[in-house]
This record gives sequence, structure tokens and C-alpha cells, in this order.
Amino acid sequence: MFFYEKKLQFPVKIATPNPKLAAFIISQYGGPDGEVGAAMRYLSQRYAMPYAEAKGVLTDIGTEELGHMEMVAAIVHQLTRNLKANEIEGSPFAAYFVDHTTGIYPTAASGFPWSAGSMQSTGDVIADLTEDLAAEQKARLTYDNILRLSDDPDVNNAIRFLREREIVHFQRFGECLRLCKEKMDSKNVYFTNPAFDKASSARPKAQG
Amino acid sequence: MNQENGNSCPLPSCPDHYGTMPSCAGLSVPYVPFQQNAPKKYDQGEALSNGTLFPGLNLPFHLKAESSSVPSTPLSELQALEFVVLELGMYLDTHPDDTEAFTLFKQYAAMEKAAKAAYESKFGPLTKPAAATAERYNWLQEPWPWNYEQNEVK
Repeated sequence: MFFYEKKLQFPVKIATPNPKLAAFIISQYGGPDGEVGAAMRYLSQRYAMPYAEAKGVLTDIGTEELGHMEMVAAIVHQLTRNLKANEIEGSPFAAYFVDHTTGIYPTAASGFPWSAGSMQSTGDVIADLTEDLAAEQKARLTYDNILRLSDDPDVNNAIRFLREREIVHFQRFGECLRLCKEKMDSKNVYFTNPAFDKASSARPKAQG
Repeated sequence: MNQENGNSCPLPSCPDHYGTMPSCAGLSVPYVPFQQNAPKKYDQGEALSNGTLFPGLNLPFHLKAESSSVPSTPLSELQALEFVVLELGMYLDTHPDDTEAFTLFKQYAAMEKAAKAAYESKFGPLTKPAAATAERYNWLQEPWPWNYEQNEVK
């Protein structure tokens, strides 16, 4: 189960509201490679994992991503506080504003609402962990692109932190994949899916 | 013995930002170098500021975007301790035999527990059970974590 801690993982303190920047950064909340998707992906994938290391890594990283959802939402919330209508007209934030005012909604910067179609949970150890390696890279490059577009030092401070977390997570998923592989068929890791084929993979050994 | 875990890098001079790979490896499966046991570590303030406890994993973007620094507040000091506990906990998931890291994990977890209790007694509850120790129900007190004012008060 989960409990709430009434604080962020990392301080978010944006001195200057900037609706244009908010319109980009919302993508790391509800975009295809955003934090909502990351949390849903990892916390969903862990149930099929047959090995403790994978259960542990997916639970820990998935839980951290919930904290990152809150950080990205806090950035967008602070970037859009105390706005007046004339500051929004003509800004890239205007389209978002029409639908959501300054509420937080999980959507991509391009306007596509968050969809489970942007993630997978395959029930296969190697396929899921390989997807997770790719997911961390896609989130990392989205943060790179936000750093290209942002000239706000307060935003950059939090974005740099989030970007570095993707690199650490990539490392842990890579190690986790190798630890899982070690427990699988040493000559052919694709011989069975250990999350599903438990009974049939045990039979040849019992007979032989 | 676990062939995949990089406990013993054959190169004594293997740098901290390098890891171990199997010398002979099965085809058609991804390999990320294993971070070696007992990697170098930042202190908690540097760790929070860099987004990792490990200098070897600190790989910033080429754009040196102008960036403010982590504010020095009682809250950020607690966040830094909690961050080290989180980072070490995740590292131990894939390096459960690193006894040095486990010792540090225990030390930081104890420091974080004490710092959180001190913070809550001064600034109000961070968890619901802590709200039960106050004289009146103070869970709803402003500011909430996403409010800009969070940083002003504490």
C-alpha cells in the first residue's frame, strides 16, 4: 500500500510564472514518456516478475516516479500561478488553458491526453525490462529538450535533477536485467518465459 | 557464484565511472555494465543537488543551462537525507552483498528518522500518523508541498 508524505522529493521553487514553459513541461507529466506513464508502467509490470530483484527495482523506481509526477505537476502549477488572461493570449499555453484553466491534466505538450497506449506490460521479463531501459532514455531526452527550451534557472534546477534520475534508473534496470538473465536458461534465455512456463519448463528436468 | 554481479573487477584500476561486463556473454540480450561494489559517494547535500549519490553515474547534459542551487532550508536538509536513503536502497536492490553500502544505508536511515521527527515537531506533520501526536488536527495546515510558499516558510 502507499502512504502520502507531505513534501516533495526535491525542492520546487519557481520565482517567475511563465505559461509558455508550462505548456512544454506538462509533457513530462502526461506525455508519452512522462512520469505518469513511468509510474503506471513500472508499478504494473512488477506483478508478473518471477525474481525478487525485479520486484524490488520496479517497486522502488515506480514509487519514485510517483514522486516525480508530483514534482512536475508542482513546476507547472507554480509556472501558472497568478496569471492574468492577457498573459495567456497568444501564448502556447492558451490551448491548454481553454480546456483546463490552470488545473493539472495529464497530457502531452502536443495536446494528446495521457494514454496507456504509450506503455506496455507484457508479462515477459526481458521484454518488460528492455522496454524500461528505452523508457528511461526517452524521458532523459525529453528533459534534455526542456533544458534546450528553458531559460529559467529555477525550472532548470529541478529538471536537471529529474534528468539525472533517469540515468540512475537506466543503470539499475540494466543491472536488474542481468541479474534476471543469470537465473534463466544459461544457453538460451528465450527458451521459456519464467513468469508463465513454470510447470512446463520443470518437466524436462524431472524426466531427465 | 553470480556471474553477472560485478563484485570483483579484474582491473584494479577500473575507474569509478566504469563497470564490469562478462568476459564471454550470451548473444541477443542487452548488457549494461554492472556498477562495482563500494563506488565513490557524495555527501547528502551534493547528492541531492546532483540527482545521484554516485559521482560515477553523474552524467550531465552538455548545455550548462543557468540553474539556481538547492535552497538551504530545514526541509531541503531532510530531503537530502531521504534522498540518500532512497538512492542506497535502490543500489542495494541490485548489490545486496555490498556491506559498506548496507552500513551506510542503516546510518542514513537513522539520521533521516531523527531529522524527520525534529522537523515535524517544529513545522507540522509530514505523515498522517504524525498528525495524531499534535494537540489539534493540523494535517490541513498550509502550505502544501506544491505551493511556492512551501519554500518561503521553511
